[in-house]
Amino acid sequence: MSAAATTHDHAHDHSHDDHAHGHHEQSFVWKYIFSSDHKTIGMQYGITGLIFLLFGFFLMLLMRWSIAYPGIPVPAVDVIRHLPILGDFFEGMFGRWLNADGSLNGELYNMLGAMHGTVMVFFGIVPLGFAAFGNFVMPLQIGTIDMAFPRLNMMSYWFFFISCVLMMYSFFVGTGPVQTGWTMYSPLASTMNMGVTSIWKHGHIWWLLAMVFNISASLLGSVNFIATIINLRTKGMAWMKMPFFCWAMFVTAFLLLLAFPPLEVAAILQLSDRVFGSSFYLPTGLMEGGKQLDISGGGSPLLYQHLFWFLAHPEVYVLILPAFAILTDIIPCNARRPLWGYKSMVYSVLTLGFLSFLVWAHHMYLTGMGTMMSTYFQITTVLISVPSVVLLTCLMVSLWGGSIRFNTQMLFASAFLPMFGIGGLTGLPLAFSFIDLAMHDTYYVIGHFHYVVAPGTIFALFAGVYHWFPKMTGRFMNDKLGKLHFWPSLIGMNLVFAPMFIQGMAGFHRRWYDGGKYFENTSAMSHWTTTLTHKIGAFFGFNIPDNMLSLNIVMSIGAFILALGQVPFIINFWFSIKGGKKITSDNPWEATTMEWATPTPPPHGNFLFDPVAHRGPYEYSVPGHATDFYPQWESEPGKPDLKAVAEKAQAHH
Amino acid sequence: MADNVEAIQKSIKWYLIIGGILILASGATVWLSFVELPTHSLNILVGMILATIKATLVALIFMHLNHERSLIYKILLFTVVLAVVLFALFIFSHEDPLVFPGFYAPVEQQ
Amino acid sequence: MDIPYTVHARPDTGLYNAKIGIWLFLASEVMLFGGLFSAYIFLRVGADYPWPVHDLDVTLGFINTVVLIASSVTVVMAWAMLKLRKFAWYRINMAITVICAGVFMFNKSLEYKAKFSHYAVKLTDGTMLTGHLPNGYHVKFDGVKELSITIAGGNKAVDADPVDVVLPAIEGDVPKFKFPSGTEQELNAATFGELQKATRKAAYEAYQAKRDGMIADAEKVLAAATTPHAIYEAEKRLAIARNYNVIPDTKITLVAASPIKFAANTSDIFGYTDTTLTFCDGTIVTGKLTDDKMTLQVDGVDARGVAQSEKSLAFDHRYLGDAWQKAFVENRDHHIATFEHDYPTRDKTRSATLQKDSLFFKIHTSTPPAEGKAHGDKHGAEAHAPAENHGSGHDYPTVVLEKKDFTFFSNFTPKLNTYYAIYFTLTGLHGLHVVAGALVLLYFLAFDGKRLRQDPEHLANRVEVGGLFWHFVDLVWIFLFPLLYLL
Repeated sequence: MSAAATTHDHAHDHSHDDHAHGHHEQSFVWKYIFSSDHKTIGMQYGITGLIFLLFGFFLMLLMRWSIAYPGIPVPAVDVIRHLPILGDFFEGMFGRWLNADGSLNGELYNMLGAMHGTVMVFFGIVPLGFAAFGNFVMPLQIGTIDMAFPRLNMMSYWFFFISCVLMMYSFFVGTGPVQTGWTMYSPLASTMNMGVTSIWKHGHIWWLLAMVFNISASLLGSVNFIATIINLRTKGMAWMKMPFFCWAMFVTAFLLLLAFPPLEVAAILQLSDRVFGSSFYLPTGLMEGGKQLDISGGGSPLLYQHLFWFLAHPEVYVLILPAFAILTDIIPCNARRPLWGYKSMVYSVLTLGFLSFLVWAHHMYLTGMGTMMSTYFQITTVLISVPSVVLLTCLMVSLWGGSIRFNTQMLFASAFLPMFGIGGLTGLPLAFSFIDLAMHDTYYVIGHFHYVVAPGTIFALFAGVYHWFPKMTGRFMNDKLGKLHFWPSLIGMNLVFAPMFIQGMAGFHRRWYDGGKYFENTSAMSHWTTTLTHKIGAFFGFNIPDNMLSLNIVMSIGAFILALGQVPFIINFWFSIKGGKKITSDNPWEATTMEWATPTPPPHGNFLFDPVAHRGPYEYSVPGHATDFYPQWESEPGKPDLKAVAEKAQAHH
Repeated sequence: MADNVEAIQKSIKWYLIIGGILILASGATVWLSFVELPTHSLNILVGMILATIKATLVALIFMHLNHERSLIYKILLFTVVLAVVLFALFIFSHEDPLVFPGFYAPVEQQ
Repeated sequence: MDIPYTVHARPDTGLYNAKIGIWLFLASEVMLFGGLFSAYIFLRVGADYPWPVHDLDVTLGFINTVVLIASSVTVVMAWAMLKLRKFAWYRINMAITVICAGVFMFNKSLEYKAKFSHYAVKLTDGTMLTGHLPNGYHVKFDGVKELSITIAGGNKAVDADPVDVVLPAIEGDVPKFKFPSGTEQELNAATFGELQKATRKAAYEAYQAKRDGMIADAEKVLAAATTPHAIYEAEKRLAIARNYNVIPDTKITLVAASPIKFAANTSDIFGYTDTTLTFCDGTIVTGKLTDDKMTLQVDGVDARGVAQSEKSLAFDHRYLGDAWQKAFVENRDHHIATFEHDYPTRDKTRSATLQKDSLFFKIHTSTPPAEGKAHGDKHGAEAHAPAENHGSGHDYPTVVLEKKDFTFFSNFTPKLNTYYAIYFTLTGLHGLHVVAGALVLLYFLAFDGKRLRQDPEHLANRVEVGGLFWHFVDLVWIFLFPLLYLL
């Protein structure tokens, strides 16, 4: 296939069908492991990301147990820890920190908390949302054969893989993984557990090394994405004919490119503090345990926070933009309506990308920055809500008047809209420093950003999996199992995160490993939700107290429902690869963007003809057109002969 | 871009001249740093202005930014704006003009 | 499979792929060094000590600047020569570039090396003494008869590692040790490994026995329980027994065949008292503290942190004494007088240079200079970096500092202060970039001969991209040099 599918430079004949004999027979290793094909790399990223999402979720389940039932042994822990191989892993990672009776303690809770954040953000959502979908879909949508730098792309994945291994290894070292939150604030992070036989027994070192690799991986990836979008767009694919998906990936790549280096600096300086004993983040006269530390001092913890949040705020948009990207393909496709306000969405996403660099210190109101800085960051923070609202509104309006197909991906997509709305609107009060001073580090904040990321981004990612699965494997995922996945997920997510707002406003702090049991004054409060919980519990014969602590139980039940909800997904995902319903056309959803013009699954080199973008990407229900979709690559209705291309593809397999 | 042969031949002379200027400017920077200006901040300012001029020369001539495509300019402009934001806000967070005396520490006794 | 636009530019953007790639990468690098420079600003603005100015070797720095600028010229010349298809000149220019990188890194290593053996000690009154530790600094213990080591049962942060941690601290011959098994043998990785393995096994067996016992007891209680409450309690007890996970640590005493003397580095110990010394692997030895004084060959007294500089602790009669104090005062007053003469209208307290010249007293001889000669050294006001004095044939006065008189010491590494921390980070990262860039250029020179003959245009693109990176490295140095060496 190579000659036919590869070149844009050289003129060639559409009719010759040498795509079969051009196949280089690649060994398994080069085809599936050290592959430089963007689709394989995308799937590698995707599967790694899904596994890490599951792992991060498991960490969260342990935490939720401790919050709801502090001091009570983790269920079945004595069975798990004595399993043959899994048990050893469990014991090495978590079991050795458990209390003697099998319950969690604060130390383990802190490790779980820090690693839950790290794993979810850097190893789960970014690889899945940006790297996996971006790698698989973006080159197809702009009609090219591969990324601009395929070998760098492979390197990117393998750097990421190394960083995964290092991060996992940090569970097994002497001090255990880091305990200081995913934010890794100095000086606590730099001075914690100073007493070690050698620095390599310290989880913090491994965390930092893993982050350095992770950052290098995203750097390579983002350079690749931007160069590809700029230079490899196919004929006719003008900037404003590009699907919004690619625009969002373009902006995301810029965020990664320019925001990650300061985090790399932060990590390098912290590494230096730890390994060489420097004092970048350690103020003069820092004491620990009543003892003067053997440091020169002169540094500032504020420096760390600035460098960290300069990354971590754009990172929030790195988490959410791929979600928007996915939805802009799924919603028009399943509403059979063009995307409403494509241009305003493009300008919004560009504005959003730029503004996201100017708001970082709204995470730092409590550090005692000056009044001017606070004012400045309040203004920019409120400003940035405007483009976000534009994006969400456009997606909502796109539904208006559509004939909506409620398949699984559309269910997830339509659930995203209100969920993200809740997350976004609850964030507005936090933009103001006077409210934030009270809310800082309470469950209100946790509820806010989890609504954005969990039922927001993760729902969009699920939708993406269901949407592009047929293109990746040639088979559908089961719709019934999909619905069985969706409804428990939706209910579970809301049961977990909605009560957080109530608890947060009651003053519950995010780092209480006992869920507030120790703080009777706060937790004894009653609220109509707690009364309701009490009554429902009483109806089923449980004695749930009528106070804020009862919400912990609600949330943990929610987490349990959420966990059960993922079982159908896992089954569906693995069984559909070989056993799902086969697709009958290369464009099963009758979509308009170019990834559906390729054979299924797309071969090395992607296209069987030279794709040309004749029109915008969202031409659904065009008046006067025979079908309700008018793909980008069709020059005239029905030309090039799609059927012939599809038959060719079938013959190819 | 200087792709044709004549343009490149012409620019070779300029590369050498600019190299010489850069070395001279470095010498000047060293000398100026030993001159006791009224305040040390002034020394820093002068040194940084010289360094910026040198850096601009390198970027324009050696890195061919004097005749580059607009796309590259856009990328770099965006980056430079963000880098400036990084510098400026770091400084402001240290020396916030709206902080009144005594905000952090008691006012010094006169 | 051919990716389009690897050699020729795409018509509408006017760029080939690698050029976009390298500029994006450089944009990212701008943010990387931008972050580092903003850290520099932050640390400098917030420094609570006099920020070192002209402390490094300006000459060496200047030479490096020239070298790097020259290499920047040659790399762009190499590209131009390749475009003109003058292959010999291309090779020469490229080779010079790579050689320049080598010279740069060689100078850098000279600069670094001197700093590792040069120390600064902070006295309790704020005086900084700089100089050399001819024998290093050790906490010395004598009469140690046994090592009390703790082998952790599970995976712990602190675990016995006497072979790597304790043995290097022994002064003189390492004796044999009597192991718990009763045999007297050498302590090395093999013997300790065996001991560790056996101990861990025993500890694990003890743990299992204890757990089994607890389970058996709990089961017995459960069997005997009759009331619901008793059953509940017994089940709880059984759960605790099943989950019991405390593998005990084992304390072991290794008895030395002959008394040991220790001279331990401070980085290898957790702490010490008059009678015990705790190593960072948890090993505790009991003996007698013989010496924790520091012998320092002083080459500088920095009294900028002292309110009355002439009363600095450094001039205590136990240390430098009156004669040096006199020399210090004379030098100080001379500089102040000169400044008042040169700049009569300026505020003396606000001149960082004057502060440094008058209060940071450099010492080049072992005996105090005769009167009137203290300021005779014309390097006084210049960038005579103390770090470079090492091995240049000077003699220095030696002081023996008592532990109670100094609070902190370090060689001129990141630990010393935030200036050296950011200095090493910035120049170290810059050095890594130099090495990486030089390797790439060397690859083009040495291994891309085939491309040179067959597709010089492609190689020219590669050289241009490598050159862009190289210019960026030069550009960073243009800012680094004044910020770290001059201002």
